[in-house]
Amino acid sequence: MTRDEPGGRGPLGAGTLEMLILKSLSAAPMHGYGIAQHIERLSKDVLSVEQGSLYPALERLQVKGWVTSKWGPTPTGRQARYYTITAAGRKQLGERKAEYERVALAVARVMRRA
Amino acid sequence: MSRLDGLRYRIAAMLHRSRYAREREREMQLHLQLDAAQREHAARGALSPRDAWSAARRRFGNVTYLSEETRRMSALGWLDSLERDVRFAARSMRRAPGFTIVIALSLALGIGINASIYSLIDAVLARPLPVHDPERLVIVGDPSDVDSRGHGTPNGELFSYPLYVDVRDNARAFDGLAAVGDPGRVDARLVETSSDMEHPRGRLVSGNYFALLGVGAAAGRTFDASADEAGASPQATISYAYWVRRFARDPSIVGRSVLIDGVRVTITGVAAPGFTGDVVGESTDIWLPVGLGDRLHPNSPVLRDRRLMWLLLFGRAKPGLTIEQVRAQTTPVIRSAILAAATSDQLADIKDRGLTFKFAPGARGLSSLRDTFRTPLITLMLGVSLLLCIVLVNVANVLLARGLARRREISLRLAVGANHARVVRQLLTESMVLAVVSGGVAVLVAWWGSRVLLRMASEGDTVSLSVGPNLHVIAFTLAVSIVSALVFGLAPALRASRIDLASALRSTGRSVTHGARFGTWLITGQVALSLLLLVGASILTHSLKKTESLPLGFDRAHLIVADLDIATPGYASERLAAAVHTLHDRVSRIPGVAQVSYSQNGIFTGTEWHTDVRVAGQVVRSSRDTVSAADAVGAEYAHTIGAHLLAGRDLEAQDEGVAPHTAIVNASFARFYFHGASPIGQMAQFDDSSALRIVGEIADVHGQSLDTAGAPGDARRIYVPYLRTSGTTKFGQPNELRLLVRTSGDPAPLLKDVRRAITEADPAIAIDDLEPVSRLVRYSIRDERLVAQLATGLGILALMLAAIGLFGVMSYSVGRRTSEIGVRTALGARRADIARMVLRDGLRPVMAGVVLGLPLSIAAMRLLEHHLNDISSDPASVAIAVAVLLAAAAAAVLVPARRATRIDPIGALREE
Repeated sequence: MTRDEPGGRGPLGAGTLEMLILKSLSAAPMHGYGIAQHIERLSKDVLSVEQGSLYPALERLQVKGWVTSKWGPTPTGRQARYYTITAAGRKQLGERKAEYERVALAVARVMRRA
Repeated sequence: MSRLDGLRYRIAAMLHRSRYAREREREMQLHLQLDAAQREHAARGALSPRDAWSAARRRFGNVTYLSEETRRMSALGWLDSLERDVRFAARSMRRAPGFTIVIALSLALGIGINASIYSLIDAVLARPLPVHDPERLVIVGDPSDVDSRGHGTPNGELFSYPLYVDVRDNARAFDGLAAVGDPGRVDARLVETSSDMEHPRGRLVSGNYFALLGVGAAAGRTFDASADEAGASPQATISYAYWVRRFARDPSIVGRSVLIDGVRVTITGVAAPGFTGDVVGESTDIWLPVGLGDRLHPNSPVLRDRRLMWLLLFGRAKPGLTIEQVRAQTTPVIRSAILAAATSDQLADIKDRGLTFKFAPGARGLSSLRDTFRTPLITLMLGVSLLLCIVLVNVANVLLARGLARRREISLRLAVGANHARVVRQLLTESMVLAVVSGGVAVLVAWWGSRVLLRMASEGDTVSLSVGPNLHVIAFTLAVSIVSALVFGLAPALRASRIDLASALRSTGRSVTHGARFGTWLITGQVALSLLLLVGASILTHSLKKTESLPLGFDRAHLIVADLDIATPGYASERLAAAVHTLHDRVSRIPGVAQVSYSQNGIFTGTEWHTDVRVAGQVVRSSRDTVSAADAVGAEYAHTIGAHLLAGRDLEAQDEGVAPHTAIVNASFARFYFHGASPIGQMAQFDDSSALRIVGEIADVHGQSLDTAGAPGDARRIYVPYLRTSGTTKFGQPNELRLLVRTSGDPAPLLKDVRRAITEADPAIAIDDLEPVSRLVRYSIRDERLVAQLATGLGILALMLAAIGLFGVMSYSVGRRTSEIGVRTALGARRADIARMVLRDGLRPVMAGVVLGLPLSIAAMRLLEHHLNDISSDPASVAIAVAVLLAAAAAAVLVPARRATRIDPIGALREE
């Protein structure tokens, strides 16, 4: 489910997406659209969140117990499902983050040398 | 913690499936709305709400795929989708009822027949006795010697009572050793006021039997070791089935006193339900303590006589001992017990022959059936397994054809985002549902089939086995069904899921294929097989009919044989003569009875005598030259049974009541001994030097068997008077009386009159059996009929399966050739041409099968000719079998052929 859209936004891997979702939720509980918006905004529209992967990823995170959800009103008064990160999810986020930083650093080193 | 949250979510999602699905839907709708609003806002009026919505929609992606994917991620998703798959399967089966019924029926038959044979195997060969820890039971003696008796030198196969006691008291390998033996017929008077004797199936067992087997009581108690003691009051325990059958669960049976073989016996109670004794296939009704043996049989001291061997032993091995260890420890004990009590001539005998001891695992009890039926049952099982394989390939073929018809449906589902694994699973689920439904029907088929088989196998001789669906059989059926579903479902499912989307949606395939080559060969093989079976069956049936109507030399349509027990009242000499005369007079007076006589062996009773006879001047070359069959018969015997008198006279009243001095012989006897000269007035010499004067000659009577080619001497027969004051040593006092009653009309309605007359004439005489001879004749060819019926059944089944298989293959090939047929039609082929083409293609493998099957059938016919009396190679049977086959094949091809002629050329071509 990848598409080229103007702006050169690329797809995200499943593991990366999960990490980004957890990171987004660590700030505050959000609904699905909010998460997608949050990631796109913070990445200055470089990262695109495909809905086709977002909702399965959220489902996966719930099954793993890293995220829970609850219905609540949006600021405009609609009902939306708000996702909250759990303690296990925070722990997982820490691990993912450490791993990501290690890899990113290594990649950066290689790229600088070459 | 996290796992707990996850699990909670899974369970909640599972339990509230529809709510969760709705919420997911709502969530995605919200997403779309928010996205559209956002786009509209960002475009500052350049985007209409409608365009913004469709942009959001485009961005969102494939909704079906998404919900499917999300569902797959979720919670016990597989179970959820399994349920939906099953529902879907049921729906698509309802849409094609004919197809479903054909498949389910052939599967149900295939699986059911396997299950019914299996249930027989389970009952006869596999199931352990319902007793405590059956694996520790060891049978000492020859387990196939059920119901036998031996007399003479101890041989280690059967035991006398004193020997049993010696072994029981000295063998150290057992925690207990029980003895079981056949009491012969039990004469029971169960109700004080009735004079009717009943004959429950009895078993003499040592008092420790129930305790040793660990069989408790359903009511009252089972008798214990004290029942064998010399002063013990006589007691008996009855089986649960007998309690239900005979006493309708009357609880007052406990403590009731009944007369068994003239001894007053108290019933201690009812054994646990399900326990039918130690002999598989012969349910015991009543158990009597072996210690009662002498009182039940006052004439033969069964408890003291070391020469009388009639017991088999059941031991409970000490824990941890193997049967080999039991054998090693027990053999010397038995040997020394035998040697210690042996007389000098027995010692010589033992030295001569040696002593062999048999030990067998006791878990499955004793059975005379087991040896008889093991090979046939296993052969049958292999045969029906093969049949099931054919069924499976046929069903796979039909499913392939159906997969073709559903290509568009499946491609559509693939196109809208279902993944391949999902489609395979869906199709496999359909197969599973089919198999489970068929499995259910198969259990019914098995229940019915095993009963029918059992009834056929035990006609006229009750084999009581509990067959039918127990847990074993149901588990077996289920396992076979599921494996079958995998076998027949996998190939069509995989093939269907590998559909090339683009081309499948566009057309139904354009290539001219002669696919399913394997299927075609299979049809050929099936046709050959069913032809073989059908020809075999029709020959067997035909020959059976011929055999049944063979002239037997007596009037089989109007004869009743009553098998009477004169030994129990102890009748002999004058008392016997008086009793026989009373019976004769009383039965003769029944309206509809034409004539009455009697004999020792009767007609078609399975009892036969042979004796040594010589005549003056005979040259004896071998011992076979002096053998003749013999019977002791009453006055007017030949006339009563309707035998043809060739010369001289019948036996008459004047021949009876004195030392025997007259006899009649049959034509074979006369021919063999007198070489064509008249036997009348000649003397027949017996080896104890008594001689009888031959007064009559009758035509040969096949009195015991339809098999005319018997042992030498079987055809020659001499008849001596039944009633005589002193026996020669050759002919002692008769111990059986078979009353022969010729009726003027159908004998069946007179049976109860004859029974009443016998009881009224002498209440002391028990009736063992009372049947028209025609029925006895039928019983005598039970096995042959069983084989013929099985062959017919299997032949019809094989034919049906071949037709189903042909239907599947032809539907498949017509489906694949749709566009080719369209082209042909467009080019001017007429419907008749198309129909002819399909029929020709369909019937080609059938003809090949016939061509292949005919020489096989002819070979089989030749083979059968060696085993059957009088089968002329029977072209009519073959012709009928071929005709039936071709008709079935044509019917199977007709539906696809009609479909082919209705293919619309424009439609077929447009799909290209």
